Amino acid sequence: MTQTSDVLEDTPILRFAAGLPGFAGTHRFALIEAFGCESPFALLRSVEDPDLAFVVTHSAPFFPNYSIDLDDAEVERLGLVTSDDAIVLLIVTLGSTLEDSTANLLGPIVVNRTTCEAMQVVLSDPGRDAKTPLLAA
Amino acid sequence: MLVVTRRSEQSTVIGDDIVVTVLEIRGDSVRLGIQAPGEVGVYREEVYVELERANRDSATSPAAAVVQLAALKERRDRRGARPRRASTGAQAPRAQA
Repeated sequence: MTQTSDVLEDTPILRFAAGLPGFAGTHRFALIEAFGCESPFALLRSVEDPDLAFVVTHSAPFFPNYSIDLDDAEVERLGLVTSDDAIVLLIVTLGSTLEDSTANLLGPIVVNRTTCEAMQVVLSDPGRDAKTPLLAA
Repeated sequence: MLVVTRRSEQSTVIGDDIVVTVLEIRGDSVRLGIQAPGEVGVYREEVYVELERANRDSATSPAAAVVQLAALKERRDRRGARPRRASTGAQAPRAQA
């Protein structure tokens, strides 16, 4: 089931069974972390549309207190057994400076690190903004 | 639009594998339970619209992203390893011109 024709052999391919809102028909993204060890950012590059990419980051460098609760249906869909199975990525909108850049805390991407199944979840708790300044914490 | 009248605890089936059940009706709000396969995203509409917009705003191309990230890194490097919050009163070393 490995399909790594146009990307590096060891680049994980995340599978979004339900796609991403706004991008119907894109289900597979390569997670490319090769921006140097110091970069907090990685790239999600669409397999179906090579011109489509999202910059993502882990929450820890910018939002150390960020945590999410998944409901049972989401846990089941992703096949998560323990919370350690999950990786949380935040979609970033880059500005010309870090101060101008924002992260989507409302709709994080949750990945099952074992199976690479992924989905964008929506958090229902208040105060989660889709455009939170990266340096807000 | 197809309109179906349902009472509490009654369901509507959509296709082979989507079931929408009215769980509770209270005043002007209705709680729905939705069973759907993994490839069907289920969102509240207003949240879906917001996510759609946010995702479109964040979408970029691999080439543009690499350029933007390189520019950010260069800016940071130029500023040196200055701490993010230098308001402790301690003398911050001046960057060499």
